[in-house]
Order: sequence, then C-alpha cells, then structure tokens
Amino acid sequence: MIGNKEDPRKVFGKAVSEIALGDDRIVILSADSGKSSGFGDFMKAAPERYFEFGIMEQAVVGVASGLATTGKIPVFCAIAPFVTARPYEMFRNDLGYMGQNVKIVGRNGGITYSDLGATHHSLDDFGIISMIPGVTILAPQDPNEIRSAVKAMLAHQGPVYMRIGNAAIPNLFEESPFVIGEGRQITSGEDVTILSTGTLTASVLKAAQRLEAAGIHADVIGLPTVWPLDEEKIVASARKTGKVVTVEEHYVHGGLGSFVATLLAERCPTPVCRLAIPHLYATSGPYDQILKKYGLDAEGIFQSVKQFLG
Amino acid sequence: MTEKEMTRLKLQATQCRLNVLRMLRASHHGHIGGAFSAMDIVTALYFYKMRLDPKRPDMENRDRFVLSAGHKCLCQYSALAERGYFPKEILDTYGSLDSKIPGHPDMHKLPGIEANTGALGHGLSIALGMALGQRLSRTGANVYVVMGDGELAEGSNWEAAAAAAHHKVENLVAFIDFNGLQISGRVQDVMDFTPIAGHFKAFGWNTMEINGNCMEEVVQALDSIPADASRPTAIVAHTIKAKGLSFGEGDVAYHFWNTTDELMDRAEQELQALAEQYRKAVEA
Repeated sequence: MIGNKEDPRKVFGKAVSEIALGDDRIVILSADSGKSSGFGDFMKAAPERYFEFGIMEQAVVGVASGLATTGKIPVFCAIAPFVTARPYEMFRNDLGYMGQNVKIVGRNGGITYSDLGATHHSLDDFGIISMIPGVTILAPQDPNEIRSAVKAMLAHQGPVYMRIGNAAIPNLFEESPFVIGEGRQITSGEDVTILSTGTLTASVLKAAQRLEAAGIHADVIGLPTVWPLDEEKIVASARKTGKVVTVEEHYVHGGLGSFVATLLAERCPTPVCRLAIPHLYATSGPYDQILKKYGLDAEGIFQSVKQFLG
Repeated sequence: MTEKEMTRLKLQATQCRLNVLRMLRASHHGHIGGAFSAMDIVTALYFYKMRLDPKRPDMENRDRFVLSAGHKCLCQYSALAERGYFPKEILDTYGSLDSKIPGHPDMHKLPGIEANTGALGHGLSIALGMALGQRLSRTGANVYVVMGDGELAEGSNWEAAAAAAHHKVENLVAFIDFNGLQISGRVQDVMDFTPIAGHFKAFGWNTMEINGNCMEEVVQALDSIPADASRPTAIVAHTIKAKGLSFGEGDVAYHFWNTTDELMDRAEQELQALAEQYRKAVEA
C-alpha cells in the first residue's frame, strides 16, 4: 500500500527467498549477516543452499565467484562497506573480471547505520563499484521497487551490486516490472530536473511538492539503476529544463552526481547541482538528523533547489 | 601405475618445461622459477589425475584446476597445450599484444582456464566455491588448486582455509608449491609460515608432505587422498625453484627470468636430452 512503511532488509530477504525456494540454482551466502538480511526463514527451509561463513567478506566474494562458475546464482548480503570497500579486489577480479553471475547486496547503505559512525557508513560504494567494468548498480527507492528489483537482479546474467537501507521506508509506487537501466519518470515539469536514487526519493518527492506549491515545476526522475545510467531520459530532461539537480546518499563526488555531470558535459552541457554528503567522514547520530545536517531532508532539498534556480 | 607409465609422465613434464622455453623464446622474459617448480604437480594433474576432456573444456563434471599463484601460468599454458586444449602455435605469442596467454591467466581467452588469478590470495576461495558448487550438483568432481608459498601471507587464504574445513569440503585439494623462495629472498626470512602443513592441520585439513618434484611421490599423494575424509586436503610439496633449469635451480634470481638466446639454447639442449632419455625408456 502506498505510504505504508516496511523494513527494506526484510522485504529484500523475503523477495529473494520466495524466488530461491523455486530455483535451486540460487544459493545464499552469509558473513554472519544472513539473519539480519532477511534470510532467517530461508536458512531453515533450504539449509543445503544457505552457507554461513562468519565474518570473512573477502573469502566469501571469492567463494561466490567459484559457485557461480558451476552455474549457481550466489546472493551475498551484508553491511554495505563490508561487501564493497573491504573485498574490493575480490569484487573486481573474481566477479567483474571473471564476469560471474553473483549478486552482492549492501544493506544499511549510505548513512543509514547512522549512529554507528563512519566505519559503518557506505558513501563511496557507487563510485568504487562503478569503476569495475560490467557491474550493474541498483538502488531501489521503496519497498515495492526492492521487490521488483530483486526479480530483475536474479534474472539478469552478470554481476550486480544492489544497495538497500536499514530504517523502515514508505512505499512510493505500486509494484511494477523493474527494467534494469531504466529511470522512472515520477513528476513532469519544465523548470528543473531532479534526479534521485535510493531511499532519498521519498524526501525528493516531498520537496517537489513544496516546489510545486511555490510555482516551480520539477521534472523528477527516479534512478533505481545507478549504473548504467538511463542516458536518454536524463539528456532529454536536461534539454527540456536546462537545470539539473542530483540527490543521493553518497559522497558528492564519485556517485550519481558525478556520473550525471560527466554525461551532460559531453552530451548536453547543463548547470548541475549535486546534493549529497560532503567529502568527509560523516558524523554520527540519528539518521534523520544526519540527513538534515547535510541538507538531505525534504526541507534541505527544497531550499537547495530554490537557491540553485536563483 | 607401471614404471613405463611413470616414465611417460616424466617425459610429459619435460615436454611441458620445453613448452615454457618456447614461450620464453617469444618474450625473453617470464616467471620461470615457479612454473618449473610446480611443473611436476601440474603435469600429474593434467595427464594422470584430473577428469577432463580437452575437446569438451566446459564438461559439467570435469575436475577443476585453479592456479592461485597465477604468475606460474607458464606451467598451466604448457600443460594445456601439451594436452591438446589449444594449438601449440599460441605458445609463440607469449608477451605479444592481444596474446591469448597473458602473464596471468584469463579464462575468457583460452579454453581450460577456470579462473582469472594473479592477485595472490584469491584462488583458494574461488576453488572452495567451485567445490561447494560441485558438491551441491553432485557431479563428483574434485577441485585442485596450486598455491605459492609466498602467497600464504595473504590473510584471505586463511579465511578460505577455515571455511573449507568448517564446511567439510572433501573434494578440495590444495597443493602448496613450497619452493621456499619469493622475490625478496627466502620465504622463511620474508614472512615465515612454517610449519605450513601444521597450519593447515590446525585449521582441520587433511595434510601430506611430499617431494613435489618427484613424480612418484606426487602420484602417490594424489592416489592416497581419502575419499571420505570429510575435510579438504593440503599437500605441502617441497620443490626446487626453477627445477629443470640446471643453472637456475634454487636461485631466486630465476623467479622472473630476463633471458638471452644463448641461455635458452643451453636450457633447451639439456631438457631435450632428458626428454630423449625418457622417450627411449618409454619406447623400449
């Protein structure tokens, strides 16, 4: 139901488990992370396809690669920095270079592990994983999109990195088929393009409503596929509005904003305002307060867009 | 195995060493030390032990070979070529642009390569995943991995070692090519991981120690792996770096060899003479 809040990890785990119970190629790998990733029921239902490794993310990524060479579809979900930054070389060589059909899921992504501090934040994952050729990066925006993205991810042949959050998030959209690489046109407007990804889209929509009330018509496009970019939709919107804002729970450089700015510089030079976390070790505290501090709540986004438009 | 069959394996190992020299003729440089120290193990696997079919390199129930120490790839290329996976003319492209036999193996370029290794400390994890996958699919296939001794300092190996024992992965066999030398000198001086077998044993592995340049011992070790051990097997193979290159044996300078045609001629003549000796014994 639209507006109904759900725990993204449980939604994710259930969505994968439902498909996995009917597809014995799918195996679940845990680095002491399975239960927290929503696989508590699956480990009891199909213990032979649930592998616990303890806290050893480097080896698990290699193991996932090896399993995939035998036709299995491994899904490995743990805290985002521990499946991206820590085993980066295994991700690059064993999954990317070897081109293996492995699904890596970083949960508690961005700053959702808010008060646990910068070791547990993941603000570089889009950037570092996008440097690995052939890897698809997904960041679904609401629980329904997580469900549909899981189906698309498991059906896709090749390595995928998906980022989900932690705190309960509202459903924004009815469930519909997820097409990897395709952006979602959420609102149409001529004054400014707002490109959003992940769970911040909920705040972007609130900001867009306030902009609308202030007479600013925003073209809001959700990008649940962070890489590869939906270039055509982005360029077409930039041509229409002439001003582009990007919003993401990631460092201001190296993520969606950087991808978009590079694309537009080459294909349709357009002023770009990147709203994201500044390049520092983010502070700790309650999630909503950290977002507010860095201007990524609805109010902050609203004010930044207004200021950008002059 | 008959004496003649054993001699044939030694002949094949010698022919594989000659194949390495053929590759080095093209590039005049390469990691010969580890390739030669591991050659007898690799020959025994490809010509005696592994279930494989060069005409069907993707055969589902094939045994898998992972060269964790990817820089020893000259030994794998030479065995694959000798076994008929690809034409030997490819050996003449080593070091050239777009070669199918790069300085570390690439599974997308050549049949028979199972993993893209080179960065050390990856192969055991990948092999473990392959072994788990084979076990799930009940193919009965084994996975053999050859590791270097220097790479044991990579912590990811010990993650995989713990996991393989924990999950009782008995279809996984790791050879540790213990030639005792790495770029900076003696492995035991650089970072001592002895007793290597003791470490694996402590992790719960079945362990053996052999002379890895003695074909009889390699074959016997492969034949004595318990089928129902409920644990993986580590074979610590004591070898000699650059074994078979008479003037380079046990010399760390031959870890990576920048060679000349004169030295290549000498090495080739010696190995040709040895091959001839084995050939006569086989044909007698």
